Amino acid sequence: MQNVVAQWYDPNPRTFSKAQRGHTTLLFGGLTAMHDSLIEAAVSALGYRLQALPCPDRDALQCGKEFGNRGQCNPTYFTVGNLIKYLIHLRDVDGLSHEQIINDYLFVTAGACGPCRFGMYVTEYRKALRDAGFGGFRVLLFENAGSLHQSESDTGLELTASFFVTLLKAAMLGDVVNAMGYRIRPYEVVAGSTDAALEECRALLCAALRKRRGLRHALRQCRRRLATVPVNRLQAKPKVSIIGEFWAMTTEGEGNYQLQRFLEAEGAECEVQAVVSWVLYSIWEASYDTRERMLLRSEHPTGRRHWEFAPLQRLLLLRLGRVVLQRCFYRYAHHIGLAGYHLPDMDELARIGHDYYTNELRGGEGHMEVAKLIQGVTQQKAHLTLSIKPFGCMPSSGVSDGVQSLVTARYPEANFLAVETTGDGAINVHSRVQMALFRARQKAEDEYQAALQATGIDGEQATTRLAMRRRCCQATHYPTHQVAGTAANLLYELARQ
Amino acid sequence: MRANVDNGPVIGIDVGSTTVKCTVVDPATLAIRWSRYQRHEARQAQMLAQMLEAAEAEYPALKDGAGCAFITGSGAGPLAEAVGACFVQEVNAVTLAVEQLHPEVRSVIELGGQDAKIILFQDDPVSGARRVITSMNDKCASGTGATLDKCLLKTGMSHAELAELHFDPERLHHVAAKCGVFAETDTVNLIKAGVPPGEVMNSLADAIVMQNLLVLTRGNTLQAQVLLLGGPNAYLPFLQAAWRLRIPQTWAERGYIPHNDKHPEACIRVPDNAQYYAAFGAVVFGVQTAGEPLAYRGAAGIHAFIRDGRRARLGEMAGPGLLKENDDLEVFRQQYQLPAFHPPALPAGTCVGGYIGLDGGSTSSKAVLIDEQGELLAKTYRLSQGNPIEDARMLLAQLRDQVSTRGCQLEVLGFGATGYAADVLDQALCADANLVETVAHMMSAQRYCGDDVDVICDIGGQDIKVLFLQNGVIKSFRLSNQCSAGNGMLLQAMADQFGVALHDFADVAFQARLAPRFSYGCAVFLDADRVNFQKEGFSREELFAGLAQVLPKNIWQYVVQIPRLAELGRRFVLQGGTQYNLAAVKAQVDYICARVPGAEVRVHPHCGEAGAIGAALEARRQVAQHGQSRFIGLESAIHLEYTTRTDATTRCTFCDNHCTRTFIDTRTPQGSTSRYIAGFSCEKGTVESRQAVVALNQTRKRLKARYPNLVDYEAEAVFRHSYKPVPLPATGSPVDDEAVSRIWFGHGPVRRRPVHRIFVRSSDAACARRAELRIGIPRVLNHYLVAPFLRTYLESLGIGSRNIVFSDQSSEDLWLEGGKYGSVDPCYPAKVTLAHIHQLLHAKQARHPLDVIWFPCITHTASFLSHIMGSNTCPVLAGTPKVARAAFTKERDLFAAAGVAFIDRVLNFELTALLRQQLFETWGEHLDITMDENDWACKQGWAAMATCDHNLETRGRALLDKAVADNRLVLLMLGRPYHNDPGLNHEVLEEFQALGYPVLSLRAIPKDPAWLQPLFRDDLRAGRIADVFDIRDVWPENYSVNSAQKVWAAKFAARHPHVAVVDLSSFKCGHDAPTYGMIDKILATSRTPFLTLHDLDANKPGGSIKIRVQTFAYALERYGQQLAVGSEGITMPHHTASG
Repeated sequence: MQNVVAQWYDPNPRTFSKAQRGHTTLLFGGLTAMHDSLIEAAVSALGYRLQALPCPDRDALQCGKEFGNRGQCNPTYFTVGNLIKYLIHLRDVDGLSHEQIINDYLFVTAGACGPCRFGMYVTEYRKALRDAGFGGFRVLLFENAGSLHQSESDTGLELTASFFVTLLKAAMLGDVVNAMGYRIRPYEVVAGSTDAALEECRALLCAALRKRRGLRHALRQCRRRLATVPVNRLQAKPKVSIIGEFWAMTTEGEGNYQLQRFLEAEGAECEVQAVVSWVLYSIWEASYDTRERMLLRSEHPTGRRHWEFAPLQRLLLLRLGRVVLQRCFYRYAHHIGLAGYHLPDMDELARIGHDYYTNELRGGEGHMEVAKLIQGVTQQKAHLTLSIKPFGCMPSSGVSDGVQSLVTARYPEANFLAVETTGDGAINVHSRVQMALFRARQKAEDEYQAALQATGIDGEQATTRLAMRRRCCQATHYPTHQVAGTAANLLYELARQ
Repeated sequence: MRANVDNGPVIGIDVGSTTVKCTVVDPATLAIRWSRYQRHEARQAQMLAQMLEAAEAEYPALKDGAGCAFITGSGAGPLAEAVGACFVQEVNAVTLAVEQLHPEVRSVIELGGQDAKIILFQDDPVSGARRVITSMNDKCASGTGATLDKCLLKTGMSHAELAELHFDPERLHHVAAKCGVFAETDTVNLIKAGVPPGEVMNSLADAIVMQNLLVLTRGNTLQAQVLLLGGPNAYLPFLQAAWRLRIPQTWAERGYIPHNDKHPEACIRVPDNAQYYAAFGAVVFGVQTAGEPLAYRGAAGIHAFIRDGRRARLGEMAGPGLLKENDDLEVFRQQYQLPAFHPPALPAGTCVGGYIGLDGGSTSSKAVLIDEQGELLAKTYRLSQGNPIEDARMLLAQLRDQVSTRGCQLEVLGFGATGYAADVLDQALCADANLVETVAHMMSAQRYCGDDVDVICDIGGQDIKVLFLQNGVIKSFRLSNQCSAGNGMLLQAMADQFGVALHDFADVAFQARLAPRFSYGCAVFLDADRVNFQKEGFSREELFAGLAQVLPKNIWQYVVQIPRLAELGRRFVLQGGTQYNLAAVKAQVDYICARVPGAEVRVHPHCGEAGAIGAALEARRQVAQHGQSRFIGLESAIHLEYTTRTDATTRCTFCDNHCTRTFIDTRTPQGSTSRYIAGFSCEKGTVESRQAVVALNQTRKRLKARYPNLVDYEAEAVFRHSYKPVPLPATGSPVDDEAVSRIWFGHGPVRRRPVHRIFVRSSDAACARRAELRIGIPRVLNHYLVAPFLRTYLESLGIGSRNIVFSDQSSEDLWLEGGKYGSVDPCYPAKVTLAHIHQLLHAKQARHPLDVIWFPCITHTASFLSHIMGSNTCPVLAGTPKVARAAFTKERDLFAAAGVAFIDRVLNFELTALLRQQLFETWGEHLDITMDENDWACKQGWAAMATCDHNLETRGRALLDKAVADNRLVLLMLGRPYHNDPGLNHEVLEEFQALGYPVLSLRAIPKDPAWLQPLFRDDLRAGRIADVFDIRDVWPENYSVNSAQKVWAAKFAARHPHVAVVDLSSFKCGHDAPTYGMIDKILATSRTPFLTLHDLDANKPGGSIKIRVQTFAYALERYGQQLAVGSEGITMPHHTASG
């Protein structure tokens, strides 16, 4: 019945042995520059040659589009293209041979997450590598569960608890340093002084991570350095909470048209989501599913009485993981001076979002986007909630935005804007952001005026009072949350004191 | 600041994507004292300088620093500083202008060149505070004014005619306005079918209005008063009329009464100066806001910017121009400039016999005359003027005149037609050949460039066609689809927008020393990029060069998608009208030569007429074969009279769609007549009498019986009552169950213990209530997979089978009627669900009231595959019920208003125990059922699913066995379950059925491992897979259940020699995208014939589907012939339309 015809299959090379570790560079990337450099330092200390790829730019996007499938979302194009672009550079500029690149480099990335395309990125990496002439290049994928897809027991990349703890520590450090930066930069008196201080922080933390000691000391040094940045927080600036698709809201390059910097240039203060929130969400998902399934009646009962300990064990481990993660994060936050920062309570988010976006719906950020918008409004967290996602993002622009239209109808005071990115046409996105910022500015100004009235102090008195309180003048001091705007919060604080 | 504003005139400037608007406003009264509106033709800075000079001449105080300026618009950014103007975002500017001038207005619709904006003012009934909701179109819907401009070019109408056009709602045809390129494609098809230009533009206006109402309102009702703003709304009365027709319709549907005393239409108005609102609003912003203004620098500042500021800023963003350092333009010109055509000398006084080929393309029509040896005797070209018959008459007359001016008489021996207009010309002129464009281009290229050509690349106005040849025949080919169409047209439109004649395009482009880097892809996105680059300050020379440079990327990376060009061969032929543009050729040659060592790139010597030459060659072949020509004769053709008619009498009445049709009646001088019918959406529209419809139906039935279409069959069968559930056990029947609990006060490990108890039934009253209950289920998405379960589950619980009501299959009417609730713009299969719910809530509800609409969020489905990482459904599909709930409850709970409960609880069909629990939580209270009854109904549901699968697989097996026995081909549709819906697959498979190919669905492939084992024997032996349902050899990251099954089916087809593939995928399908390359590799490696139709959407691009179907049919026929003779090592042509 069958003619003898050739059939295609994907060789999917994944071998990485201990012996190869010495001469193999593990490429990775995809978070912020701060995260990437801290992870590089931390994991290098474990004996790996780890190298972060540069932040993806438009050339990376072009590369991704040239060698990737048509119709993908732009995080795929940016991240896949970034790897190809780097390998092309190794080949064409650094003069490495094909064999050298294949033998001495590999790429490590996270995968999984199910229904979103993110779970299928590695397919795209292989396709693009093949078509770009790098067939045989290894892409290693570690799932959230922690298992590495590797056939040999002689694994070059040992996914031990120590490895993941190191990775998470670096990610959390990145989160706290970035959060400090976003709190200080909009109010800096001397342009560029925050970035200069953050650079020094990065060097201090990387050094500590490489030495694998002195982290607390380094964080305190960072705090002291950041405190020296002169700031003026009595400026009524709109606070913009950035939510949306994970990569689009995290990257700081062309992938989101440098949105954070654009917002700051337009006079806004950004509130970005911590990378560790995503880990907490994954933990919440696993706990939720375990609870939902553990008491199901079997369709084919065994007919004997028995006990199952595995679900309990799993729940306890997940809970332990969550607690350790949160404590670790808050300790770092405390040392660096990130006061009043709260990681999202996943159970609360699930509760808030459930009526609109069922908790069982997964992929992307699930119910988190919807819940964060509601929380942002009810708890006065921001003047504008900006949801950024790639063009055609399935969970975010396909579902969340539809549900958000109901949320904004129920919460008319919400100032919400959803924007899609494609990597090109920045003008459209910037224009839409400016459109929403207009209202946010008005809200911030109104809020500030209300604070002046409520406290009974005028702008001059506020400046005088502030000058008398040295601690409050420091960049590391962030007024306690009462309303969305930082300046208004500072006024209330000054009035209280 | 206020001193400045109060001291002198205030200028408001709006720099848009196509026009500049400038107003001088009196700050005290806010009266507009002076204004200008002009197209800038990509010279925004120069145009603004001119305007400011005029304003400064009128108000000399401006020059003395007395005034100030505020600027808005998409092109305002870089000019703001140069002018000394504060920037204001355009939507905010319009909002302020409307609040100032029209406090009574509640809705604003502003259409610009690229952007559409809707602004809604809502008053909070509690606080009284006014809330402003603003929305702008996303990229896919962009190009409102620009789309009108481009389509206007195609119709041949003038701007003056357009301004006079009367809107006639009775003569509207289908145009997709989701995206500018989709609209262009539909427009071309209508024009080439002979639909009058006015009707086409009206249809386009209506489509733009509908698109904005469907998407841009984000599901909000536009409340009165409604203000129409922006250039297109201000200048085009037919567009205003379309708004006045459609907005009141939505009001009526939603029960909104705009004004008790006024006619609804009176609540929609266009104010004076509608085009200046953004500029005026910028001034209002300045007057109302206490910021610090910039010092006004005016025209002088702009001149300085033009002189010094631009190039320094652009260096980093730009690449080199078309000419590199070592390039010699003259050498290139000598090599690639096409020599002028010198017609061969004809012996005077003789009668010249020849064959005419006519190519009715999207933007131009071409005709050629060849002699009996195939030599070109004459050729002619004409930009399309609208009606294809008129174009053909003019071209034929020109050919005749070319021959007669040489002192000869022309005798036409045969006539062939190709291109968009081929069908109408075939009918009207009795063509000897009606040839699909791809084959026409192949024949022509081989005639002039030899049989050893490897690749033919044709770029027309609308389509890109790339043919790969092997041994002189088409091996495979790629065609642009909707999302990659319109590239040639873009160059033309760009030249037009910049006021440059098309033949000067290259000269302008070659002057650029640097060029912006466009992101390749959709033409609308390119246009958006162009606006962006204009904003940055790139000159038109640089923009032209950048556009030429992006063309090869669009062809080879976006349409062809084969990154290693050298694999295709060495000899490339470029043809199509775009090759007259040397800038495009230069970019192409550079691109190909950089990637293919030793490449030979040739331009067809008659590149614009290549298709027409192919048609003439085919006519010659056909006449030789049949011994005579059918052609009506040259003079008859030239003097052919025709009328076009679209009215109530031409409307098709053979089904509920009532399609608007256009009759094109022709009459030769000799009195013979013919009629061509355009504008129908199914084959019933091709006839005029009931008897003819009956005859059509009979033919159709015969075809269906002879060549079964299991896709169609499955689409019906899964929703039918086809399984009789076993009745519920009596109360007291024994049940073996288990009790599950957590010990340690509910915090410890799980304890499971067996329980033997009796079956519990619900009360008789509950049963009686269930028997009366009516439940509606939308016929959408994964319901095409799980419908047997859903139906049987309910039937088992006592719901009458007639009380389970599915919505109808998707159709254009259903969509237009009920699709206006959308707040997001995902894939069409997801969007159309809203229309299904609308139908259930209205049409179905009106017939027999429903109690419940059940639209579960299905997160997982069962899969027959093994070793998979998950069986997740697409997140859009899973979440769409939530989006639907939001859409129908946002302003008012429409479910409650209709007395219907909407149930959207999650269901997981992968974990049966969980599903059972979820179903009980969903229905326990609603249906008043016991857990035992729920368990029983679940079992029955699964049994129904198994029966349905068995039935389909049995039919599939019979189909395949017969194909093997007859040594014939079966077409397998690779698609997601909902692609069985004829409204989503655009009935493409029926076209193949009509050609004699039976159609197999994915679900109907037999899943018997023993039967499949021989096909996968080698893979099993090699250890690449563990069993026949394992796809890890090609796709280990197989989370997506439907995509994974598609990949498996592709593997099956690749291993079964009697299966060819039609691969369907919807626009924006994020789960299919990762599999495109994989499926292509699987089928191409095994040389399985396949046709991919990606980016399917709401509109049915008839012309583009036709060319694919015809070309694939040509390839299948050849493959079938080889199969029939049993030749070994068959060269299987395959086709993909990715792009």
